[in-house]
Amino acid sequence: MKKTKPILILLICTLFVAGCTEQKILERISITTLLGYDLEEEDKVTTTLTVRQVSPDDKSSLETQSNTEETSNGTSIKVNLQTSKKIMAGQLRVLLFGKKLAQDSIEQTLHTTMMNSEISSSIYLAVADGTTKEIIEAQYENITDIGQHVFNLIDHNVEEQHSVSSTLHEVVRNNYSPFRDIAMPIIKKEGQIIKINGLAIFNKSKMVGELSSEDAFYVIMLRDKFKAGSVELSLPGNTLNHDRDQDDKLEVSIDSIKSKRSINLTNPSTPEFDVTVDFGCRLIELHSNENTGRPEVTKKLEKAIGDKMESEISRIIKYTQEKNSDIFGFGDDYYASVRNSGLTEAKWHQMYPNMKVNVKVNIEIFRNGVFE
Amino acid sequence: MKNTLYVGNTQKFNAFLLFYVVTASQIGVGIHGFQRVLYSEAKQDAWISLVLSFVLAHIAVMVMMKTLDMYESNDLYGIHLDIFGKYFGNFLNFIYIVYCMAAFLAILKNYIEVINTWVFPYLDTIFLCITILIIVVYAFSGGLRVIVGICFFSFFFILWIPPILIFPLHYSDLNFLLPVLDTELKGIAKGVLSMSFTIIGFEIINIIYPFVKEKDKYKRYVHFGLLFTLFLYLSILLISLTFFSGEQLSKTIWATLTLFSIIRLPFIERVEIITICIWLIIILPNLCLYMWSAYRGVLRMKFISTKKFTFFFVLIIFVVNLYVNKRATINMLNDYFGKVAFIVVFVYPFILFLFAFIKKKIKKSQVSKNEEN
Repeated sequence: MKKTKPILILLICTLFVAGCTEQKILERISITTLLGYDLEEEDKVTTTLTVRQVSPDDKSSLETQSNTEETSNGTSIKVNLQTSKKIMAGQLRVLLFGKKLAQDSIEQTLHTTMMNSEISSSIYLAVADGTTKEIIEAQYENITDIGQHVFNLIDHNVEEQHSVSSTLHEVVRNNYSPFRDIAMPIIKKEGQIIKINGLAIFNKSKMVGELSSEDAFYVIMLRDKFKAGSVELSLPGNTLNHDRDQDDKLEVSIDSIKSKRSINLTNPSTPEFDVTVDFGCRLIELHSNENTGRPEVTKKLEKAIGDKMESEISRIIKYTQEKNSDIFGFGDDYYASVRNSGLTEAKWHQMYPNMKVNVKVNIEIFRNGVFE
Repeated sequence: MKNTLYVGNTQKFNAFLLFYVVTASQIGVGIHGFQRVLYSEAKQDAWISLVLSFVLAHIAVMVMMKTLDMYESNDLYGIHLDIFGKYFGNFLNFIYIVYCMAAFLAILKNYIEVINTWVFPYLDTIFLCITILIIVVYAFSGGLRVIVGICFFSFFFILWIPPILIFPLHYSDLNFLLPVLDTELKGIAKGVLSMSFTIIGFEIINIIYPFVKEKDKYKRYVHFGLLFTLFLYLSILLISLTFFSGEQLSKTIWATLTLFSIIRLPFIERVEIITICIWLIIILPNLCLYMWSAYRGVLRMKFISTKKFTFFFVLIIFVVNLYVNKRATINMLNDYFGKVAFIVVFVYPFILFLFAFIKKKIKKSQVSKNEEN
């Protein structure tokens, strides 16, 4: 008993002293939820951020801050001079890059973000059409918290597979992977709303091109384990009814049920890939009075949709080849299937524009709606 | 044979607890960031290196147990004294004590560094060091049976890791594992070497052997323990290899923690912060076992009380801790310690076994000669 007493006292002390470590009391800090980087002249970077401050009297206020400095820490010091509470980045949800910065290089910014242990690697990254300052500092009628709003916007679209998932982890992974390039959504302010306006594609860490948001469907189809997503296609008018003119478009909308893609390298020297997508879907919309319950109609439709998708996918791949941006990760497949290839990043970027891809899409329409 | 330890039954523990002792002593701070070093050597074949290093560990531990079996109830220190005599034996014992202290220091410093980087960047390392040392002293003062109890306890703090790895699995890409066996054999071998810091810990059976109750069936539990660690390390490594791209992995210092930071649960947003704090319980048996090993060694040289030993041990660790306070120095410590550990754990047991075997043979022939005469 004699021995335990001093130890007990020591233990109690440590228990209480633990409360004296660094405190981050919610009322005494301000939380960044959205961060935007823009490139200015002379390599300076403007940082714009939304700051949420929680006050004890049940009201939380929002403000935006902006500053220009060479390093992001330099800006953070300056921004701290403008706010009454210490800024913490642990709740950061979205990181935006101005278009100019993205076109210059996002390498340095990514590195800084990864170095900071405060920031979670599940935050979303996106490119802003124009400058991020415009988007963040604008006044919106219906949006109270812009940080949360942009996060939800990207999050639900990623979940429903309308947009490429661009978490910090994935972007950094693709950036440091020698044979794969980054793709992230573009965000645009249009009047009073903010919307996802396409897909920015990168070569290494420079933004080199844009794809429309409809194309994102096909990019996801080739890139990821695809789960849900719907797409609208316009097929040639004479697909189902030969009397109609070919230019008179037949609009179809389908919703994916399951999809499986396989990429096979058939010829390492060109290189040549066979891409097969098995796509099971249901019909949501069909601007035609044909009876889709009949097998031959379904078959025709499946063929037409498949052809259309093949041509769309080929077009997108061609575009990325022109821009030399391997967002699908064909390089990884190449590296994985060729032994002792000695493939380097530079070599792959030389090979990529000459790559040949044979796309085959097998469509299966499982069901249509409740009304034929 | 002389120097045999007589351990009363009240001080002994059941053999199956060795399973927990081995897992607890192996899993420590190394698990936070072993992928990076392993990847830089063996590339996508890192998992082969890992499996090979465990095969090596099984062999090493078998040899250790063979050596121990030659003596009825003796630990490494006693074997040293028996084989090499008083002076050289004591010298080797001294080296082993220093090794235990270095292991203690390396674990402590790495853990403090993780806390400082992830959770409290401005907290003084001295404060952290004192806090952890107090807990260790408290646990250590309870004796071996308490330490074994902590090992048992800490095992259940490890068990939640495999299920939580399902979250990062969502982002994994199997292509990063291919092509298999594309790395040169040299790289894989180097990978095995680099694992030594992470894999060591099972050498504790050298010291703990006399305290095991059922000496006829303790071996299987040691091997089970190693297999469990292999399972845990392999699952973490495979997920890290597919989750990160190559160069990213070689730039991520604590890949396991970064792996956890993608997980976002509804009730807790940053799992890795909790992980790091819970990790204190996982490294606690590690620290206690190394301290206890050192104490056993000191007892062989000179009898001193637990209190005195604790005081000097803590004082030395604390003073050295003051000088190892930069990331670069800690990395250097890890490098050197890893190399020394490889020799102590993977090379030395074979040499010792050889000596013990020869000694036994000589003794036998002497005995038979005496009988003839």
